[in-house]
Amino acid sequence: MTGFTRRSFGRIAGLTVATALAGFGTAAFAEGEKVAVITPYLSQPGTQFYVEAFQARAQEKGWEVNVIDTAGDVAAVISRMEDLSAQGVDAIVLNVDPAQVGAGLDAAVAANIPVFGMDAGADPRIKANITSNGYAMAAETSVYVANRIGGSGNVVMFVFDAFPPVQVRGAVADAVFKNHPDITVLDRVTPDVSDGGIADSRAKMEAILAANPEPGSIKAVWAAWDQPALGALQAIEAAGRQGEGIVITGIDANPQARDAIAAGGNFEASVAQDFAGIGATTADTVARVLGGETLKSNVIYVPTRLITSANAKD
Amino acid sequence: MASFLRHYGSLIGMAAIVLFFWIALPDTFMTLRNWLNISQQLSMLVVVAVTMTVVMVMGDFDLSVGAMASLSGVVAATLFAQGMPVPVALAAALAVGLLGGIANGVLVSLVGILPFVATLATLTMFSGAAFLVSDGKTIFGRDIPQGFSDFARSGLPLGTWGDHPVLLPSLTLLAVAVTFLVWLVLEHTIYGRRLYAIGGNVAAARLAGVKVSHLRLSAFAFTGVGAALAGIMYASRVASANPVQGDGLMLTAIAAVFLGMTVTRDGQPRVLATVAGVVTLGVMDNGLTQLQVDSYVRQVLVGAIILVAVSISALGRRAVRL
Repeated sequence: MTGFTRRSFGRIAGLTVATALAGFGTAAFAEGEKVAVITPYLSQPGTQFYVEAFQARAQEKGWEVNVIDTAGDVAAVISRMEDLSAQGVDAIVLNVDPAQVGAGLDAAVAANIPVFGMDAGADPRIKANITSNGYAMAAETSVYVANRIGGSGNVVMFVFDAFPPVQVRGAVADAVFKNHPDITVLDRVTPDVSDGGIADSRAKMEAILAANPEPGSIKAVWAAWDQPALGALQAIEAAGRQGEGIVITGIDANPQARDAIAAGGNFEASVAQDFAGIGATTADTVARVLGGETLKSNVIYVPTRLITSANAKD
Repeated sequence: MASFLRHYGSLIGMAAIVLFFWIALPDTFMTLRNWLNISQQLSMLVVVAVTMTVVMVMGDFDLSVGAMASLSGVVAATLFAQGMPVPVALAAALAVGLLGGIANGVLVSLVGILPFVATLATLTMFSGAAFLVSDGKTIFGRDIPQGFSDFARSGLPLGTWGDHPVLLPSLTLLAVAVTFLVWLVLEHTIYGRRLYAIGGNVAAARLAGVKVSHLRLSAFAFTGVGAALAGIMYASRVASANPVQGDGLMLTAIAAVFLGMTVTRDGQPRVLATVAGVVTLGVMDNGLTQLQVDSYVRQVLVGAIILVAVSISALGRRAVRL
């Protein structure tokens, strides 16, 4: 009896596993180019926009897209890249810093599989990285500030030079403000970002407001991303100085920043990356390379959009 | 025949999984290159799981291994960033693992806290310490010495395949060495047999003169050092370290040991069975990725396979009792 019971269990086990897997195995025999998208960050809102737009465009092209989310595990990105290199997909799209997945890139290069970056970062082994132009985004907001204050007055800058993508934004704003002889950069603040960046920026801004009590002594706050802009806004409102016309700008246009801009207060502008555009352009770029084209530049920028009260609700 | 199935039912299930992928992916699955890949991908998990086996032999377990792997990775990387020589930084990271493991051992064996509670608390502490040490940031780029990240890409040359060299990865060799060591300790020393005696019946072991609390304490040193080593291997593989990167190892390692226990004759944790469990999980990941199965479906399937295997083993044991 026991022998029989055990044997049936063994058979059931084998059958269950085989049927469960067989159902999914059929996908491997479908038509069309096979493209894999690998990201550790699918649960983040921006990433979802890229990936959905990529999938939509890929569907038009008749590709078979496999989205692999490693749920924060970067080593698993390397592992999946190795698996796909063994399997021989037509292209791999990454959404992770290439510096962290070098071993996976080597495997893909060895297997002659082109790798593309979707807002990933540059690497010689990546055919192209499709992203937003940080220089251009900073130019949009710093020129907005310069124009709004008539090219004259004191400006407070919030920067973060330790993080290269944000450092370039500060460098552009420095150049724009320097090009206006009557604009003075009152302070160039690097906030502590360990709490998310809003609270410390607010504290720093409160200190600057206290040191410059005269109305009009601060004309604008230029922030390299949205959190310090929101902190500065809170500080200005808490100090009761929102009526002085201090212009605040951020970059990224996150939902909280859009709300503040739409409310029509001091926070006047930010810049939105076109996440869906990055996804769609990535798919187009993959198509160009699969079609035999050699890309001249391995960085492709997707235009960004200045967000003001006129379009903050879009 | 019946007894053959009784003893090897789970192994047959594992073989069926391999066979399925072999048939579904005739050109790319059962290749030397793919298996070398799998072995390298699994090396960190193997180290955590076989050392976890040491405490699970006694019926204990250690929830803090993932956090410890993260902590040792950021400790090593932070020391690299401060210009410490690689061997010094690695020794310090392993020492952190040893201390953490001993701390767990003291809490479980001398203080007498349940392993679940004690290691849950140290999990939280190790994780917090990893954030403290790293400032919550990812340490990468020039801070990580080239030689350290090259280790994960190096290996013993086996020959060439096409025009690419085929390497037996260093990470795989390291995992094999750790497995051999733990196997030796558990299966071929008095120490190991005493651990199994504790797992079998604590009271009887104590009456037989086994120093239960000393042994339990020392066994946790294995999981601590194993986790720290896995954290270093992980940091080498991704050429960077962040305060959460090893966290996922804990649940998978425990799952692998349980999966392995379904293979053994008496349902006890055994080192080689644990390795079979790890390989099963790794093969599922590799094969399902190659079959382009959605990653969320893959997670559900892997969980289901574990449940099926463990259920069969449990029902089988019950059938024997009836």
